[in-house]
Amino acid sequence: MTDLPLIVENLSFKYRRRSELALDGVSFSLQPGQVMLIAGSSGCGKTTLMRCINGLIPNTYTGEMSGSIRMFGKSITEMEMAEISQTVGTVLQDPERQILGSYVLNEVAFGLESLGISREEIVPRAEKALQRLNILYLRDRETFGTSGGEKQKIALAGVLAMEPRILLLDEPLASLDPASAHEALDAFRQLADEGIAVMIVEHRVEDVLSIHPELVMYMDEGKCAYLGDSKGLMDVVDYHRIKLPATVVMERARKDPAPVFNPVVLPKEDKTPLIQFEDVHFSYNEDSPEVLKGINFEVHSGDVIAVLGHNGSGKTTMVKHALGLLKPTRGRVLIEGLDTRKTTVAQSAHTVGYVFQSPSQMLFAPTVKQELAFGPTNLGYSPEEIQKNIDWAIETVNLKSELDMPPLALSFGQQKRISIAAILAMRSRILMMDEPTAGQDYWNYQAFMDAILQMPGFDSIIFITHDVDLAVIYATRILLVYGGELVADGTPQEVLKDEKLLRSCRVLPTSLLKLNMEYLPRTGKFYRAETLAHLQS
Amino acid sequence: MLVTWHYRVRNGLMEKFDPRARWIFSLAFLFAVTMFWDARFLLFFFVLAFAWYFSSKAKWKETRRGWLLIGFILFMMIVVNTIITGGGAGGVVPKGGHLVWPAGLFLLGWKIPFDLTWERLWFAICQIMRISSISAIFLIIPYTMDPRQYGVTFRGLGLPDSFAYSMELAFRYVPTLARDFTTTFDAQRARGYEIERVKGNIFKQIVRVAPLIVPVTMNSIMMGEDITDAMDLRCFGQRPRTWLYQLNYHWQDYVLISLGIAMLLVGIFSLYVFHIGGFWVPAFFIH
Amino acid sequence: MQKKLWKFGTKEVVYAAIGAALYGILGLATNLLQLPSAGNVSIRPAIVIPMFFGVVFGPIVGFISGFLGNIISDLLSGYGLWFWWDLGNGLIGLISGLIFLRIVTYKSGKEIVLAEIFGVIGVVVGMALASISEMWVSGADIKTVIFGNFLPSAITDAIWGLILLPILMIAYAAVNKRSGR
Repeated sequence: MTDLPLIVENLSFKYRRRSELALDGVSFSLQPGQVMLIAGSSGCGKTTLMRCINGLIPNTYTGEMSGSIRMFGKSITEMEMAEISQTVGTVLQDPERQILGSYVLNEVAFGLESLGISREEIVPRAEKALQRLNILYLRDRETFGTSGGEKQKIALAGVLAMEPRILLLDEPLASLDPASAHEALDAFRQLADEGIAVMIVEHRVEDVLSIHPELVMYMDEGKCAYLGDSKGLMDVVDYHRIKLPATVVMERARKDPAPVFNPVVLPKEDKTPLIQFEDVHFSYNEDSPEVLKGINFEVHSGDVIAVLGHNGSGKTTMVKHALGLLKPTRGRVLIEGLDTRKTTVAQSAHTVGYVFQSPSQMLFAPTVKQELAFGPTNLGYSPEEIQKNIDWAIETVNLKSELDMPPLALSFGQQKRISIAAILAMRSRILMMDEPTAGQDYWNYQAFMDAILQMPGFDSIIFITHDVDLAVIYATRILLVYGGELVADGTPQEVLKDEKLLRSCRVLPTSLLKLNMEYLPRTGKFYRAETLAHLQS
Repeated sequence: MLVTWHYRVRNGLMEKFDPRARWIFSLAFLFAVTMFWDARFLLFFFVLAFAWYFSSKAKWKETRRGWLLIGFILFMMIVVNTIITGGGAGGVVPKGGHLVWPAGLFLLGWKIPFDLTWERLWFAICQIMRISSISAIFLIIPYTMDPRQYGVTFRGLGLPDSFAYSMELAFRYVPTLARDFTTTFDAQRARGYEIERVKGNIFKQIVRVAPLIVPVTMNSIMMGEDITDAMDLRCFGQRPRTWLYQLNYHWQDYVLISLGIAMLLVGIFSLYVFHIGGFWVPAFFIH
Repeated sequence: MQKKLWKFGTKEVVYAAIGAALYGILGLATNLLQLPSAGNVSIRPAIVIPMFFGVVFGPIVGFISGFLGNIISDLLSGYGLWFWWDLGNGLIGLISGLIFLRIVTYKSGKEIVLAEIFGVIGVVVGMALASISEMWVSGADIKTVIFGNFLPSAITDAIWGLILLPILMIAYAAVNKRSGR
């Protein structure tokens, strides 16, 4: 028993600057070839647990640690960083930040170079790691230009080149669309089958369950709340906090009261459509291929639109045209009847409020209040109007107490809400959001989307997503984008019923979609699993 | 914002050399040429520099921006300073000399106090030769050297691993940060921000860049924490580093380095032992 | 954790690289907005980067941010290499970084004043070095160097640096609270 890959006993940790424990008495053990899933919402201690195992604690992050970690019979305290790194390989959350080499081969060789291994040995080992993930063809590419799914595999290859026997994956699916996520998961399972013990920290539980992890741990507030097989997990965890398969949610939701959800975006009589795309073509410059190839659609009051497509399908490029951030190379875009070529982005912002994916890319002001005043001031509102808008916006995202705080000091979830409020304060007619759920865990984004859809003040809401469930639950209309073309435009029921079409667009049907399709003849409309449970009874 | 390195494979002469040899040669050239004000010597450097420059096969279209800047600097330094206002011309040109317009210069009937001497005019020519030679040698480097080779080159020139790797990493993150910069710029434009419409005093104008520079900088600092973790997790700095790409000196590199050292030696001997190579005006030039 | 003035570990390697890349990008962005005018000294937000990285991460990081950053900025803009000006910008970061050990909260008035003082000294020394090199390289006279090179570059750098440095320090004070290190 002593030479198991990993034995963690009664592990606790407190960061130097915090008063509460980040980890509180966690114990488990892992066998070779096993896949272990560690689930929990943000702040539950899963990242801290990983840092204890890969040596970043105590080498980089300091604090008080107790308990023990043993790897293959040896205590981690007796191991140097170089030895730990060759035993445990870690892939961090964002591959863009993990990839250190300009070229794929440099990136994969990085660890071996650091260990001072001879050049003659490095190249074959790096190539072997690439081969293992079937990406040897990327060897001489520049890392910057590769896709998200490829980046994930390149980062993984860089870790595998060091030949670890334990693999730690920190939210490996966070930046991937469902199709790439499933390819990545298959690769993880294959590595486990080759004898590596794989630990996956992830809140996209439903996706990970598809590769049947042998061991599942559910963490809450630094403690282990559940340890066992995946079947047991379904009964134990709070289905509001962790995303479970839709059938399970429906089963369990029967016992709870029905959810209340009243969206308030309603159709109005408009003379002109809010936005019109007329045969829009776009390419970044003359020599590069077209990113948009003849897009036609209109947005009207009352539309709640999900722009659905895989990463790289052109959906972000498309919505950037809806605000004039990009101008078509052929065709035109009209915002309330005005051609975006003849108006400024600032003018268009009166109609379209665009929330970017990452709040940290826009927050700058010393206080939340100043942050919220930025947009309306630019748009030329009077001081009284600005004050009124700020009050309304901060009330809406429920962060009034933070008005005098610096936005950069807030948590990620709060920052996300501030970034929405900053757009709300501009009082635009349309709210447009790029991947609104990115970087948030299930509980947070569900609550967040519910709140926005029930928020008065918008004529239309548009959101970009690769998550089918988001479109199923919230959209009244779906634009399916693939290869720079608008493949389908219609109600969720029309667009999502064609599974073959979805798969050909690299969009994967989910358990919730399947469940809804099953009940559609009786319901006539798509609902979330919790609601379905009560429509039945 | 589109970030493009100006480097291409051009199959020019200089690409046949080890980048370290090219750097040694370029620096030796810089130090050697600055020891001379004698046009006869400068002419040699001038010819050598432009022969070197044109051997690169870089196109005028590509290097135009750089030459425009150099042209502007030459103009300010030579036309405005040496010729028109004409101070001591760096203390190189002796006081006095032969006036170009001994009777004074008349423009529209006005006598203009303009005491340009033939010596200063000749000095201007020397300045042009000197500055343009140095510029040619250094301007061409980015067009002919792979930016990703800077790290290993400076490692090879004796810089510690950590410094050399820092250079390599900087080049790696330039496109990532350029993309982040564009995203932030777009995100703020979506909030009605218009950098081209700046009003108010200089303080207000400068503060106007905060919505761009603050998110980009803070985001990159947070990114840095992850990068540091990624490097620590892969044993950075634990052992002496192997560099995957190896640089090797060949015979042509030794020739180039020898040429550089020879230029330096000639310069030092001329200046300090034989006392030649200082400012000199050919007799025919003075009328 | 104890701060050491001349430490150059993994963290410093990373921030030196990021500082240099940032300087390069900001320099390019402002170069693209204008044609070469007055030796490129009118719009210079990038200059705050070596100062700020020096103050927050130490003199070596500051030096590389300025030195390598100026190189990258010129490489991207197609301006070639200007060794002495690169060195001068490096010195701005290095001298700003000498106050690094005294900066703890990043937002107290006293710390901001100290950082500003070292930033200005950095600008004066760095730009003086770069300007004086022009006497030696180009044969410019002292008057040209002072009025044509030193004053325009030092004044622009000082104004941009002094106004932007506190803004970045206060923002960093907020970000730093969230770090687990």
